[in-house]
Amino acid sequence: MGFFSEFIKGLWRENPVFRIVLGICPTLAVSTQLSNGLGMGLAATFVLVGSNVFISLIRNVIPDKIRIPAFIVVISTFVTVVDLFMAAYTPALHERLGIFIPLIVVNCIILGRAEAFASKSTVWMSIADALGMGGGFTLALTLISSIRELLGNGTLLGIHVFPAAYSPAVIMILPPGAFLTIGILLGLFNYLSNRKSP
Amino acid sequence: MENLLVILFSVILVNNFVLARFLGLCPFLGVSREFKSSLSMGAAVIFVMTLASVSTWFIQYYLLIPYKVEFLQTIVFILVIAALVQFVEMVIQKVSPVLQKALGIYLPLITTNCAVLGVCILNIREDYSLLETIVHGAGGGIGFTVAILIMAGIRERLSLGRVPKCMQGFPISFITACLMALSFFCFQGFFAH
Amino acid sequence: MREIFKLTVVLTIICSAAATALALVYNLTKEPIAYQQRLKRLAAIRAVQPDYDNEPDKDFVDIKTNHGAKGNEGLTRFYITKKGSANTGVVFSVSAVGYGGPIGLMVGINPEGTISGIQILNHTETPGLGAKITEEKFVHQFNSKNLSNTNWALKKDGGELDQITGATISPRAVVNALHRGLVLFRNNREEILKGKRG
Repeated sequence: MGFFSEFIKGLWRENPVFRIVLGICPTLAVSTQLSNGLGMGLAATFVLVGSNVFISLIRNVIPDKIRIPAFIVVISTFVTVVDLFMAAYTPALHERLGIFIPLIVVNCIILGRAEAFASKSTVWMSIADALGMGGGFTLALTLISSIRELLGNGTLLGIHVFPAAYSPAVIMILPPGAFLTIGILLGLFNYLSNRKSP
Repeated sequence: MENLLVILFSVILVNNFVLARFLGLCPFLGVSREFKSSLSMGAAVIFVMTLASVSTWFIQYYLLIPYKVEFLQTIVFILVIAALVQFVEMVIQKVSPVLQKALGIYLPLITTNCAVLGVCILNIREDYSLLETIVHGAGGGIGFTVAILIMAGIRERLSLGRVPKCMQGFPISFITACLMALSFFCFQGFFAH
Repeated sequence: MREIFKLTVVLTIICSAAATALALVYNLTKEPIAYQQRLKRLAAIRAVQPDYDNEPDKDFVDIKTNHGAKGNEGLTRFYITKKGSANTGVVFSVSAVGYGGPIGLMVGINPEGTISGIQILNHTETPGLGAKITEEKFVHQFNSKNLSNTNWALKKDGGELDQITGATISPRAVVNALHRGLVLFRNNREEILKGKRG
């Protein structure tokens, strides 16, 4: 497989959120508004690229038995870097994402890619994989948070989109709205892909 | 005392880890197919969350803060949790084969359960005392168990019903979770004056 | 035995490399983070008491109270704003228990104890209902109110302060917290206005 096909697979065919249903906790928790969703997606992508590259570099030096602890150390290092930089340069976003920034550590997508891909592949391919998976995660977050912000608040990135007469369905930015949105989206995608391949 | 009760009940009902805070969704969806296995998972989570809360509390206040290395919090906490889970697994294996059989396969899954790391970080952010930390940790686990048991009960019934093909599996589980989260809303304001 | 030794060495190297990298990043971001936090504190102070030219975050008095911000700490910090050498006011934060959790408030008053402005710092009230406590209409009604010119209760509780349609608990919590703060100031007025060490 080439660089491009490794990259593209994460966006849709193996989309971590919609197809493999991983990383659901942050996806639902921060998707109350588009800016949060984008911020979380980019932060996780950075961690993914960093840890994938690093793990791919040291994959031949790490004894198999301490593989997982070593991966966890690498991942949490990158997470802390993101945490500190966001606190320093995007304090408002940092505050809104709250504990879900340190919790990127336990995002199954990242450890999953380290274990399933980066520990077996070259650096170059690992970058493609990380960008694709991170991109797919960001794409999913963007879609869900756009829907929730639009319906629940009538805005997009804080700008009013719907006419003032629209009274927002507040439930969409509350926890039940998150479950509802992803449930319906997953059902819809199932329906569409079933129809394509009878 | 009153303070502890408020923490306990609000973490179970008002700010339920799964339904209001979105922590621990993977096992909540993955292991909730049967009532019995959900019960085992819940028990394991309560146990590990309480233990992890206590140990990370001591580490934060007796290691990280005195040595001014609070920025190592994430990395240290996750390693402690991973080690703790391994340790508990070994102890259970030695002490009780029955318990090992019931909890065995769920323990390794708990390391990457974000509810465990989540509760440890929340304890510190909320400035809880040791006693409050214990109650919050155990309560968080109990809240998780309550949620996963209700979910398992519903899913057992649902397996008999006719769900449209495209909604089977995850989609219908999320819709169920949505209705559960909605009904847990009635506990909001429970502790307001 | 040799294997255990090797595993330990490898894991130790990874951990120390991670810790070193993080220490570097931490030192790099320490100042920007402190700067952002200071900026945030000053912005909150200015929003409720704009009339000053000193550095109120360095000019404060801590008063022991039973109602600490989180219940288990017993200190309230009073920031003193000055213009030239004259006291223009005092800014402090109080907290209340709302419908969805704690509500944090910043209160600005003049030296006589009349409110110059309040701001909601953080809350977890229901969007669309209790969360309306952050709206100007609600927040501005407290300006130029003090202990003697106002009956500190909501209209529905027999007082004279406006409530919010559909939500009683959140505005009531705010009113009670403000009243408690004003009483606290009155009881310690001498000590606070004297300033830090004379």
